[in-house]
Amino acid sequence: MSKNGGAETIVAKGVKVEGDFMVEGSIIIEGEVRGTISATGDLHVGQEAKVEADIKADNAVIAGEVSGNLKITGKADLLPSSKFSGDLAAAVLAIGAGAQVNGTVRMGAEEPAKPARGKRPNAVPEPEEETE
Amino acid sequence: MYSYFYDAFLQDRKYERDLALLETRLTDLGIMGKITRLALFRDSLEVIRDEIDEGAQTLVAVGDDKTFRQAIEAVGDTRTVLGYLPVGNKSVLADLLGVPTGVAACDILSARLVQDIDVGEVNGRRFLHALQCEASDAVVSFEDAYTTTIAGKASLEIRNLAFPDDAGVTDPTDGKLTLIVRQSQFSLFGSKAHVSKLPFKRAHLFTDRHVNMFIDGGEKIQAREFEIRVIPSRLRLVTGKERKF
Repeated sequence: MSKNGGAETIVAKGVKVEGDFMVEGSIIIEGEVRGTISATGDLHVGQEAKVEADIKADNAVIAGEVSGNLKITGKADLLPSSKFSGDLAAAVLAIGAGAQVNGTVRMGAEEPAKPARGKRPNAVPEPEEETE
Repeated sequence: MYSYFYDAFLQDRKYERDLALLETRLTDLGIMGKITRLALFRDSLEVIRDEIDEGAQTLVAVGDDKTFRQAIEAVGDTRTVLGYLPVGNKSVLADLLGVPTGVAACDILSARLVQDIDVGEVNGRRFLHALQCEASDAVVSFEDAYTTTIAGKASLEIRNLAFPDDAGVTDPTDGKLTLIVRQSQFSLFGSKAHVSKLPFKRAHLFTDRHVNMFIDGGEKIQAREFEIRVIPSRLRLVTGKERKF
């Protein structure tokens, strides 16, 4: 959030954004967005908002309609008025009673890539034998 | 070296006393310098640029916002420090920069708190404060990545430096401009304003018809397409502690 406590980017009702929407900081959407959204801060989708986009953000509070893939590094909060369809990945998820969720949900912090089979993780390489 | 240029309208006798007080205070502070008087039939930009070429390190506009805008245009890409002593009409830019009217402005100049400020550019014309236009049918394309369209009547403003309001604080040192879209929704219970806020570095605004774009609340340009961009940290301005950013 900016110094004055508000979001850096606001898409109000009546405004439509289309394309690759890169946002520095937090974003509030009350209007329409189509394409992709990549925010370095938090995302808030208002009750009357319509979003058809693949989204990446830190935390998300969703009260409106979102369809697309949602990748949240922190907490995703789907409020009772929300309608979500797509794949959702978040470290923490809260779904309010009445929220509509259609799609797959993956929770928990992202796991590091699995090591190849047969190799111990963090294995210390054995020192080569010295031959005289 | 301080170089002062007085706007042509200050030749009116009603400003004699104000100017005398300013000059006395500047002398007291030890920052009096060369005075150049702009005249109606002299190219102001050329006169100011001549001063820069002659080595003026601090150029001081004495007059109103129009005078100051001319100075911004003239300074161009040089690193000359620009100061402002507002005299005459009420000055929006002086308020934004924290420069008081009257003799107190000399103290701000003397304190010499210099800040690097972004400047905006629209179709080759520079602006410090904001652009305004009434073009609800405008499509704005940002950084060649995304576009915005507006449903219904709206006013558009592109800000670099502005008074804090419902759209928040605009920081003229962040290397960005901000598009503010204002729409009013009327209902039985009154009207409600919807404010959109979209920061950007480069944008292209186009409409199907010619529209007026007002630069810094004064001069207007008329076109169907506007190329707008920010030039980061381009101006070096003397500001006061009461500045609005």
